[in-house]
Formats: sequence, C-alpha cells, structure tokens
Amino acid sequence: MYRVSDFIDVKKKAREIGCNIPSHMALLPRNFETALYKEELIHEITTPTVRALWRQNGINETPIEKPEEKIPFIDEMAFEWVGPIIFVSAMLLSHDPHLVTIALNVISNYLMQWFKGIPRDSRKAKLTIIVETKSSVYKKIEYEGPVDGLENLAEVIRGVHNE
Amino acid sequence: MNKEVDSFLKEFKEVIRECGKFCFISRGKEFQIEAITKLTKLKQEAASLKERMIRFMDEESANAMLSLESLINAMINELEMWIALKEDNPNKAFDSLINAQSAVRTSAQAHCIAIDLNAEGYTNKLHLLEKLLFPLQIFFSPGLALEKVECSICGKEYGECDHVAGKAYMGRMCYKIIREVKEIKEISIVEEPANKHARVLQFIDEEGTKRDWMTWRRIKKDE
Repeated sequence: MYRVSDFIDVKKKAREIGCNIPSHMALLPRNFETALYKEELIHEITTPTVRALWRQNGINETPIEKPEEKIPFIDEMAFEWVGPIIFVSAMLLSHDPHLVTIALNVISNYLMQWFKGIPRDSRKAKLTIIVETKSSVYKKIEYEGPVDGLENLAEVIRGVHNE
Repeated sequence: MNKEVDSFLKEFKEVIRECGKFCFISRGKEFQIEAITKLTKLKQEAASLKERMIRFMDEESANAMLSLESLINAMINELEMWIALKEDNPNKAFDSLINAQSAVRTSAQAHCIAIDLNAEGYTNKLHLLEKLLFPLQIFFSPGLALEKVECSICGKEYGECDHVAGKAYMGRMCYKIIREVKEIKEISIVEEPANKHARVLQFIDEEGTKRDWMTWRRIKKDE
C-alpha cells in the first residue's frame, strides 16, 4: 500500500520556477517534479477541497502560488479519490509532528463521508506525501488503498523523516 | 429531529415497504407503474417538507429530508429500470440504474438517516444488479484542465468558501460546477469512471457490422 522513493529538492525547485518556498506544509501540483515553468503547473481537483478542510480545522498551509496567481486544476473524473501531493517540511516534523496526524485525520474523516453510498471494495484513495528528512533529503511516500489505511500514514511519515 | 420529519418517516417506511415489493423483474408492469406514481407523490411531499425545514433554518431536518427524497428517487429509478428491461430498452434501463446508484449515494452523503434505512445494503444491491443484468460496459473518462470551478452552494470560486463537495448544507448537496475548461488533456477508457453515463453505445465488429453494445443488434446506416 505504501511505496517510498526519492524526490527532488522541493525548496530548490520552488525557487527555480518562481514559486513560494514552502516552510511547513504545502499542497504541491501534480507535475511539480517535472514542470519546467510555473505556467505548466497543474493541481489535482481535490486541492481546493483539502485547502478548505484544513482552513476550517486551523491547519496552516503555505500555498506555493503567490496570492495573485492561480494554478489550474486537473479533473480526471475518476471513481477513486486522488489527493494532492502534500509536502511536509523537516522543521514541522521536528517541532510539531502531531499537526501531520491532524491534517491526515481531517482528510480521512472527509473521505469516510465522501465514499458513503459506494460499495466498500470500490472505495480507493491515492495520496502522495513528500517528506523532508532530518538530513534534508526529500522522499516521496505514495499511498493507494482504502481510506482506513491512511491512519498509519502519519507514522510512516515520521519514520521516513527520521531516516 | 423535527416532529413533522418524524411523522413523514413513518409514511416513508410504509410506502417504501409497499413499493419495494415490486422491485423485481417478475412483478407486473402495471404494479410497477402504480408504485412509481405513489413514490412520485411521496417525493413531492418530501421536497415540500424539505423546503419548510429550509425556511425554519433547521439544517439537520433539511438534510434528513434531502436524504429521504434521494432514497425515494433511487427506488423510482430502480422501478423504471425493471420496466425498461421489459420494454426491451436496456440502454434506458442501464441509465435508470446508474441514476438510482447516484441517488442512493446522495442519500447516504446527505444524512446518517440513510444508514439507519439500510442505504448500504441498497447500494450493494444496485451495484450487483449492474454486474448481473448488463454486459460489461466500456466507460470513458475525460481528463480536463480546469480554469474556473464554482461552488454549487454559494457560487463562489470552489475552495475559497467553506463548503466541500459531497457534503449537504441546508438540504442541498455541495458539488463543483465547471465554469471554464482550459484544455481537454485526454479521454481514457476506464473500468470505473465517476460518470457511468459516458459509455460505449455502438461498435463495429470483426465483419464490419455496426452493432449496439448493449443489445448486440445490427444498427442501420441512418441510425
């Protein structure tokens, strides 16, 4: 259900293409890793939902887009729920690791509601987390599976951060 | 919950139990038509009571009424599916089944009353019917780059307000309204799309004959 791999330096890439540099938590566009220009960036359609949910629950996020900028969304009209890429900085994981648990719980609670009226075996969620480790290396954790599997994700994030 | 809603719930259970008897292919079409008429009347009552709850600003009751209204809608669509199958119209039957599945989903999302009324069991039944009654469908799923998406509740840019898709607010479901498409990125063939109405209707077989995917019947050139 989880796959961990290497990821590019998020802060360096943000600087290179002229985006805000995320300091704590951020929602990254789907093609953040490969986009050459800011204009190419595209967010998952679930990004505004996660932003609204976090805002309602007092979870702060650093949008990588500047206030006057707007990144378009991609909607693939899929049955499964494909979440945005969540970036979690080393600083946040060192100082306030529980915030990540809360942020994931907020998403997980929403998905429990979202998937109501769909047969249980069809309820699938995809979520990608980018973790900045203690040694400032960036790792990608990809999750794909049932919503209740998100419960363990916070622990996996902390484990990767401590690597 | 509001007393009027409680009282409606009793009537709802009675009518659903009565009409549920006809949700089988073997039942007489005339009874199924009669059941649809009864359910349509009940649905109007539900909609009217929901509006009253909205006027009273009773969100809990308004959402419960939306849930009941959607369950009634699901059963109407299921009955329409059985009738369409008997009338040798499987394409219409399939669309009615998909409408029934969507209506149960709305009901389950709108209020927990649906869970007490076994919406989960009904969901499973409707999805099982899809597999048992119809050949495997080929669905399309477009990948769209969107510039502007609006909230169905307040009309603001989706994400800028506090409403979230799939949640009920004062008797209305929140969903995203696509206002501006920047680009069609791709169109994929998928097994499980969000919209099951987007499916293959016709195909050309190995002999070059154009056929209806659902009935396998030959399609004349001008159709």
